Amino acid sequence: MRLMTFLGAAALVALTGAAAPAADKDAADIAVEAAKKYSGTTISIVWEAGLQSLDPLNYSGPKWEKLTGIKVKVVEVPTDQMFTKILQDFKSGAGAYDALNVIPSWMPDLARAGALEPLDKYVDKYGYRDELQDIAAAYRDNQMQYDGKIYGFPDDGDVMLLYYRKDIFEDPKMKEAFKAKFGYELAPPKDWKQFDEIGQFITDKMAPKVYGAGFFRTAPYPQYMFQERFRMEGGKFFNPDTMKATVNSDVGLKVLTQMKAENKFMPPGVEQWNFVDNLAAFLQGTTAMTISWPPYGRWAAGYGSGEEALKWVPKSQVAGKVGYALTPLGRPELGVGFDLSVSATSKNKEAAYLFIQWLNSKKTSLERVQLPYTLRDPFRISHYASEKYRSVWPDAPAYLDTVKLSGEKGLLDLSLLQQDKYDEAMTKTISSLWAGEDPKTILDRMAQQFDAITEKVGVENQKAVYKVWAAKPGAYPQ
Amino acid sequence: MMSSPAIETTKPARGRTFGRVLEDHLPYLIIAPAILILLLVGLFPLVYSLIVSFQHITMTENDTSFAGLMNYAELFKDTRLWAALGHTAIITVIALPLELLIGFLMAQLFIDRMPGRQLFVALLVLPTVISPIVAGATWRLMFDVRFGPVGQILSFLAGEPVRILWTVNPAYVYPAIIICEVWQWSPFMFLLLLAALSNVDQSQLEAAELDGASYLRVLRAIILPAIAPVVAVACLIRGLDLVRIFDIIWALTEGGPGSMTETISLYTYIQGFSQFETSYTAAIAFLVIALLTVITTLVLKRMELAR
Repeated sequence: MRLMTFLGAAALVALTGAAAPAADKDAADIAVEAAKKYSGTTISIVWEAGLQSLDPLNYSGPKWEKLTGIKVKVVEVPTDQMFTKILQDFKSGAGAYDALNVIPSWMPDLARAGALEPLDKYVDKYGYRDELQDIAAAYRDNQMQYDGKIYGFPDDGDVMLLYYRKDIFEDPKMKEAFKAKFGYELAPPKDWKQFDEIGQFITDKMAPKVYGAGFFRTAPYPQYMFQERFRMEGGKFFNPDTMKATVNSDVGLKVLTQMKAENKFMPPGVEQWNFVDNLAAFLQGTTAMTISWPPYGRWAAGYGSGEEALKWVPKSQVAGKVGYALTPLGRPELGVGFDLSVSATSKNKEAAYLFIQWLNSKKTSLERVQLPYTLRDPFRISHYASEKYRSVWPDAPAYLDTVKLSGEKGLLDLSLLQQDKYDEAMTKTISSLWAGEDPKTILDRMAQQFDAITEKVGVENQKAVYKVWAAKPGAYPQ
Repeated sequence: MMSSPAIETTKPARGRTFGRVLEDHLPYLIIAPAILILLLVGLFPLVYSLIVSFQHITMTENDTSFAGLMNYAELFKDTRLWAALGHTAIITVIALPLELLIGFLMAQLFIDRMPGRQLFVALLVLPTVISPIVAGATWRLMFDVRFGPVGQILSFLAGEPVRILWTVNPAYVYPAIIICEVWQWSPFMFLLLLAALSNVDQSQLEAAELDGASYLRVLRAIILPAIAPVVAVACLIRGLDLVRIFDIIWALTEGGPGSMTETISLYTYIQGFSQFETSYTAAIAFLVIALLTVITTLVLKRMELAR
């Protein structure tokens, strides 16, 4: 008995002792230590071209090499070609990429094709589960797994925010005139009716110097706006029993009609605006409201204005004058996002995994989301709470609180098999809307296209995937 | 015993025959390896695509089982495909005569010696050497509703702000594409026609002038017949280019608004490299090859008859 007690105690001590170093170290340190055995190798990672890739090119890549001796080759690919390139590499079996940036709505397709490496065994081996719990629930619970397996680490807190000009909204004369006309306070709009009234009111009072609102109207943003507004007004994409598209309902018609009508109080030519056009208009003070991803808020505050890489961003004329709010109706679209994954055809899977664990870890990711020149947005609870981040500009606490709240309330992008085809149908629909086609006609056409895609994918297959997606808390407003 | 002289006489005859055959066919034997390689390089992708077009390969399925004519039957039901072919035809039918006419007028202008002719010709040809994707992107900026010079010039002429959404408004989107296309490729026609016009028999022109023939009569009776073969080849080259038009439209409209300016090349690209309908895309490619073969054969036959 004594012997058994002794052996048990010895085993306990041994286990505790063995576990102690791991417990002392965070996920970043564990990844660095484990990766040193791959020193001298080179791993490649697919990253969105442009500002996003400055993160691995200028910051994380060189730092990882210094820490571990592993070189990082960054393969820059435009967003609209990333899916194609990843799949082409997988289908050819070339194994040109080790680690990947994957848009979460592609995960069902890529995972089913076998292009992504399941990460669970590595997560357990390198003790990463605890730190994954720090990722905001909207991303962790919805963008990390497919069919019960982890295929990627959510790494970008994409979500739509409403930005508005505090100086205009708080101007006593404007407030008084607005209340006299509409009977309620001039404040960030709670619904789209209010948004339209406020937008038209400001345009009537201040155009052409300032217009009530401006939006990014070319692909892909408008289709995310449609997804959000359609669901918030009560629309459902499909009949879950038959998988017939129901986007051409009265709700769809209402949303498209409103979206089209809103262009009238926006600057002329808004139909052609892209991300940069809209950003420039807001930063130059030409529009009083806009909805976009979190970098707008940072750049509007002047964050990173001295950076060489951000010289193309117009100097903000509205720093200190911008307020942040939830989008009308209070459930913003998460809109794109990025996961870090490992390619199933990689010849350096373990080294690639360790790199993405290090990138995604609490410690490294906090540094990365504060890089002013990249587009990675806060996605961890610890990011929103970071004292350092909250002190970067005077309104940073309000900004981070709104990003956090928006993430918590965020609506998921539709994510089905061959989602890119449904996305294309939505994009074409919106483009036809701006061209002046009848909303009902284009909605009927979109529904037909949805049905044709579903038919081709297989109704039963798609029904099963839709059922899983629709059951997620962020799929439809409860 | 009787056969031995015969054997003696046939041996040298066989040797001569082999030598003659070798001599006659030596050039073919020398170029045979090169032709074989060219056929392999040229034919292999064609044959491979043909095989793929009878399979089920898609984004997620590497299903190489025989699909019969399924993909080809699908072509007839695909309204977007026929619309894309229609858009391609519209652009070709409008842009080709415009390029020919402008190229001819420019060539007529520059046929006479004038000071700085070479410099002007070099400048006029510049659009042709620009990459079409760059030309499309440049014209997209030119048509920009806020900063584009096209809008500014029109506003100046109209005396009030003119805001045309060239790449959004259905009424202007085809004119925008055709302006860009004609701007870039008329100089190509100009170059070919300038060379053709330079070779028109001067003595015939002088004789016609002495006879007091009008310009239109000279054009119809002397110039056009003389340059007809060059015009036919130029139209064939540009016509085939227009059927394959991709870059300019991709940069200007990406096939929008909706699918309104989606040409057959854009549609094939989207099906193949965005939606990964590999087998179906191969079937589309063969449809296009068949159409182009028919058109090219008809044009060549017509040229042959004219000759």
